[in-house]
Amino acid sequence: MTQTHFTACPECDLLLNPGAPVVGDKAHCPRCGYLLQRPRKQSIERTFALSIAGLILIFPANLMPLVGLKMLGNTKDGTLWSGVVALFEEQLWGVAILVFLSSIIFPLLNIILSLLISAHLYFNKPNHYLAHWMRWLQHLDEWAMLEVYMLGIIVACVKLSATSELKFGFGLYAFVALLIVTGMLTSSLDKVLFWRKIGQLRK
Amino acid sequence: MKAKKTALTQGFIRCHDCGCLSKQAGKNRLCPLCGGRLHPRVPNSFQRTAALLLSAFCLYIPANIFPIMTITSLGVGEPHTIIGGIMALINGNMVPIALLVLVASILVPLLKLLGISLLLLNVHYRWQGRAKKWTILYRIIAFVGRWSMLDIFMISILVSLVDMGDVAQVIAGPAATAFAAVVVLTMFAAKNFDPRLLWDNQR
Repeated sequence: MTQTHFTACPECDLLLNPGAPVVGDKAHCPRCGYLLQRPRKQSIERTFALSIAGLILIFPANLMPLVGLKMLGNTKDGTLWSGVVALFEEQLWGVAILVFLSSIIFPLLNIILSLLISAHLYFNKPNHYLAHWMRWLQHLDEWAMLEVYMLGIIVACVKLSATSELKFGFGLYAFVALLIVTGMLTSSLDKVLFWRKIGQLRK
Repeated sequence: MKAKKTALTQGFIRCHDCGCLSKQAGKNRLCPLCGGRLHPRVPNSFQRTAALLLSAFCLYIPANIFPIMTITSLGVGEPHTIIGGIMALINGNMVPIALLVLVASILVPLLKLLGISLLLLNVHYRWQGRAKKWTILYRIIAFVGRWSMLDIFMISILVSLVDMGDVAQVIAGPAATAFAAVVVLTMFAAKNFDPRLLWDNQR
């Protein structure tokens, strides 16, 4: 078993000499154009800070009402959870579970894993599970769909606004803030750097 | 064009998770950095992608012919298919939102189904040339995949907000499950497709 100083492009398998891009550079594969690495300023510190912010914001975004609907004098509040419950009550278990996972569980796991990994790297604490966490984080990433949910809220509101009065709750503002924070979190996390650090901590 | 050296032809395997490149003999190879199982290419990439794609094609039909939701107002129910919902938005003078839904729930799933089929045909018949363009098609498909969930999230919000018994109610229909399954299956199909196969066939 031999490790090598070479790297390979994940999308076309071209054997490459590893470059040492600095902050502001983008390393692309010369053959297929894949973005190999894009170093970020203070990647570990920022990921750590942003995941704490995300963990704080995820509570109001989940617990407070996102939008309220006024109809015949009644107001009905909608949260992330109430959408799941409504689908469950209509026997659409598959869809309910999918919405539950992609709008509540996966974003939460994403933030918790980012927090755990960046905290260990920040304090230089080795942990046997670091590689596992990092692997889960990479696989979960595309299944957390908060930004798609936001678009769903907008479309639903436009549809309802023609016939009824809508009220935006505090939860919606927290949700938008959470959206921004998770977006920044994903872009500040430099996977190449994180894996290198995890490798160094193992030795 | 001169054939370039790939990691595979030089006997190296790139870890799918952490990107570590190593040279190993024998079966059951594990990554020296993260401990994950090593495969030179995604195992059975072609067969898995084809199977998932075929299931998605089958479910695409019920997703479009059955009602995705039924809007009841004053006791009169009105079932909507995906296309029906877009027509209702156009009739209600909400053309920009109608376009958004059209892109997310009709064009994107179609693009994914046809695009992945083309990628599979490319790999099977070893089409020569323009591998970079095909790789870009793969990247677009992998990127847009999650945005089709828009319709599902919108329904989940509508179902939970509009629930006033006989006066006004939105009930999700059987097409919602089929459509959600199409989205998930095509996402898995894109994840299982290995773009390196496009490059392996180039001479």
